[in-house]
Formats: sequence, structure tokens, C-alpha cells
Amino acid sequence: MSIAIRTAFWVVTFGGLGLALFKVVKPDDELLKKFDESSKHTDTRKFSHDTIAILKQATDQSSELKRLSKRDAQRLEKIQKAHKAREEVNVSNENEDYFAGAFKIKSESIEDLLSQVPTLEINILPSHFDNIKREVNELQKYVVTSSFFLKEFNMRKYLGIVQNLQTKCYELEDRYAPRKKFGFTRKKLPKSHCEKQNSLDENDGAGKTDSNKWDEKLFGFDNKENVLLMLENNELYQRDVTLHNLKNCTIGLKGVMGTLHLTNLDNCIILSGPVTSSVFVEKCTHCKIVTACQQLRMHTSHKCDIYLHVTSKGIVEDCTEIRTAPYNLYYQDLEKHFNMSSLDKNVNNWNSLDDFNWLAPDVPSPNWSILDATQRISNWNDWWFRVPS
Amino acid sequence: MGFLTILKKLRQKEKEMRILMLGLDNAGKTTILKRFNGEPIDTISPTLGFNIKTLEHRGFKLNIWDVGGQKSLRSYWKNYFESTDGVAWVVDSADARRLADCARELHSLLREERLAGATLLVLANKADLPGALSLQEIREALDLDSIKTHHWRIVRCSAVTGENLLDGMDWMLDDIASRIFTLD
Repeated sequence: MSIAIRTAFWVVTFGGLGLALFKVVKPDDELLKKFDESSKHTDTRKFSHDTIAILKQATDQSSELKRLSKRDAQRLEKIQKAHKAREEVNVSNENEDYFAGAFKIKSESIEDLLSQVPTLEINILPSHFDNIKREVNELQKYVVTSSFFLKEFNMRKYLGIVQNLQTKCYELEDRYAPRKKFGFTRKKLPKSHCEKQNSLDENDGAGKTDSNKWDEKLFGFDNKENVLLMLENNELYQRDVTLHNLKNCTIGLKGVMGTLHLTNLDNCIILSGPVTSSVFVEKCTHCKIVTACQQLRMHTSHKCDIYLHVTSKGIVEDCTEIRTAPYNLYYQDLEKHFNMSSLDKNVNNWNSLDDFNWLAPDVPSPNWSILDATQRISNWNDWWFRVPS
Repeated sequence: MGFLTILKKLRQKEKEMRILMLGLDNAGKTTILKRFNGEPIDTISPTLGFNIKTLEHRGFKLNIWDVGGQKSLRSYWKNYFESTDGVAWVVDSADARRLADCARELHSLLREERLAGATLLVLANKADLPGALSLQEIREALDLDSIKTHHWRIVRCSAVTGENLLDGMDWMLDDIASRIFTLD
């Protein structure tokens, strides 16, 4: 027992002394080597070697910690700097207004370059076109890199403009400085295939061909010019009425209809009673349409005035210069017809059309507007009996 | 929450179906949806985007997506194709003028890979109108008999009167169920 205590005492004493000595001397590698060389007792050497390694590790760890914390501080500083720099840019450059301005300037300069093309000499044209293409590419890049703060709708709009510039550039290049094209001559594709594809693309809706095998099923007027057309309620009642390919006509529809289709009308006046479901307008130009309905759906029409009573909502798609005014038609049985159609006379949303080509909620659509009160026709009584001029 | 509840939930999930309602604009998709759901149909506006309704029918949970049919929206239809069990293609039976258009859109839809295997129900809507085409005429105009890739059926119906709507839907549910819930 006492031997054990005594041994422990000596071990602690010598150990403590050794540690103190070590701390005072702080041996470095050379010293250690020397010590190694001079020491002949391998056991002692091994022991001391181990101790030193452990101690060295301890001192190393503390210095590593120091280094780490220093690096961390540097990193933080760097981030902060970058942050600051970005914020500065943010404030000035990254908003839609700034972008819109910059975009406009750029696109206008490209337009300028494009308009110079016809006046330039042929030999400098290639470099000029290269220049334009580079500018367009840059502009496109600008739009794309700004995508994170642009609204999706605007983004598409801008990309559309860029696309337009690009195609314009290629068109002009084709016209003024055509490149020699390399290619194999080959027979044309089978004709029928091409044509079919085309007609499929173009002929959406009634379209230009405008005759299909169901035409005789339709009820209404087709292919007329400079005439007065009139239908009464006994013929119209709850039917699908179609007006089709008319020019310079006045069409009076004194009755209740199920649906009213207006397709391919030019310079016509349509005076209609209430329509129970929807009025479908397509490819109409320079028309005055006076109608009451549950839904109005207008497609690919231009420069039309609509005197409208709509109980749910009207929409426009691919239209321009549409003007709306409240429904103000009068004929003898109108009141009665309104009751028969079950349209609510007190609900009229004539002044809020939805435009499928204009999804920005904060900016009103440029494709339709409200017809100024002074320009409205207030009384249609004389219009029933005369062909539009 | 016990083990039974988990099982029940799993089972409910199993009975879910996703149905896509498509067709040209003014075909009456939204009207049909609202009629199904028992909502008033006289205040419906042209769909600017899409409507989704979840309803229970015969123990199935139906997620019905009604996507607007305007020309500018048709290019977005493809965003709704994923994991669709059934397509209800709505046709305005009285709109003879645009039937060719309708046929073209339908057939391009059926070529979609993501709709492969989906059941097709053609709803010849507005059949109650005086000018409506007959079922046979629509079937020919849409060239339905050439469809070999999908189970299909055409049903004459009217969203306004409600005629035949349920029959059509029931057929579609049965067809889908026989395909995906084979264990029942």
C-alpha cells in the first residue's frame, strides 16, 4: 500500500518537474532532434517524444482556433462589403421603371441602326449588321438577367420586343446583304402536306375560307353588301343567330336570341335585342354593335364601338381600338324581350372588359377604352332604316 | 391518430381522381362544372385562367380542373396534363362553325404523351338548343372513330337543363376506376 503511495508521489513530482522544465525551455524541432541524438535510452526517448507530441498538438490547436476566427472575421467583412455594394446598385438599377427607361433607350438606338440600313453602302453593311446583332444580343441578355425583378408579364413583353428587333434585323439582312447560303437543293415537300399545315395554323375559327359543310345549318345572314336586314322575335326566339361575311349592312334583330355570332363583318351596324347567353364577335372591323347579353366574347376585331349590356363579363382577345358604351337601344317590345331573356336589367358591366392579351392588373389595357359620352350615339331610331355610309 | 386513421387516409387518397375539363371557349365548361357542384350558373364570366373544384361523387373524390378555352390560354393547357385520369372534352353542339377547329384541338390534345391512358369523355353540350347538331354529326365532325389510343365516349348533354351530365360522368368514373382501382 505504502509502496503504491510512494510510487505515485515520485511519479507526480517528477512529472510536474518535467512539465515545468518543458514549459520553460519550449523545445523546438531542432532541439528535439538534438535531444534524440544525444539520448541513448530509447525508452525515455520514446516517452518524451510522445509527451512532446501531445503538448505540441495542444499549442497547435489554440493557434488554429485563432486562425479560424481571424478568417471568419475576414469573411464576414467581405460579405458585408459585397452586400453594401449590391445595395447601392439595387437602389438605382434594379427596379422596373429604371429598366423600362434603359430598355427603351437601347431598343430605340437599335431601331435607329436598323433604319440606317437602306442608306448605307453595301461594303459596310456586313459589319453594320454584326453591330446590330451584338446590340440585340446584349439587350436580350439585359432582359434575361433582369428577370428576377421583372414581372413575368412584362418580361414576356420585353422579350417579344427583342424578338421583333431580331427578326427585323434578319429580314433586312436578307434583303440588303444576303449571304450566300450553303445547302442542298432538294425537291419540294409534297404539296398537300404543306398546305394542310398552313391551313391548320391560320384557319382558326371561321377564318377566311368561311365555308364549311355545316353552313346550311346556320341561321342568319351570309354574304351580303349594302343592304338592310331585319329579323323579328318569332324567328329569332332563343336561336343561335349567325351573321357572317357582311359589308356595309344594317342588321336589326328585334327579339330574344340564344347566342349571337358575328363573324367577318365590315362597317356594319348591328342593333340587337337581348341575347340569353353569349355574343361571340370575331374578325369584325369598323362596326357599331348594340347588344345585351350575359357574356361578350370578342376576338381579333378592330375599331368597333359596342353599346353593351352585359350581366357577367365581357372579354376581348387580340383586339385593338374597341370602345364601349352602355346599351341604349329602344324598340317597342324591348322591355318584354328583356323579361323573356331573363337577363338582369339592373346589372351591367359594360365598363369593365377583361383583355386576354393584357394581364397587368395595375395598368389598364390599351386595346379597349370607354367611348367618350359626347361621341356616343344617343338615339338609334333613325339607324334602323339606313345603310351605313 | 391511430393506425386505422392512417389506413383510412391512404384509402381516401386512393379514391382520388383528377379530371381535366377542356374545350373551345364558350363551350360551357365552367357552366358544367358549376352545375355539377350545384352552384348558380347565370352569373358565369368567361374564364380568365382556371377553376378547380373538389367534389365527392359515389365515394370518389374528384378534382375537376376547368381551364379557360380562349385561344391565348390554350397554350397553357399542357401545364395541367400531369397525372390526369380523365379528360372531359366539352363541345358546343350548336357552334357548327367552329367544329373543325374543335376537332383539331382535340386531336392535338390526344397526341400528348402525358395524357396517354386518360379516359376521354366528349360532352356534346347545349344539345337542348334548337340549332344543335345531332350526336352522329358531331361524332363525324370530330372524327372520334379514329381514336384508338384512349377509351372514349360521346354523350349528348345540356349544362342548363342538367340532362345526361351525370350519366356521362358516371361512365368516365367507372372507366377510370376499372383502370386504376383494380383492387376494389
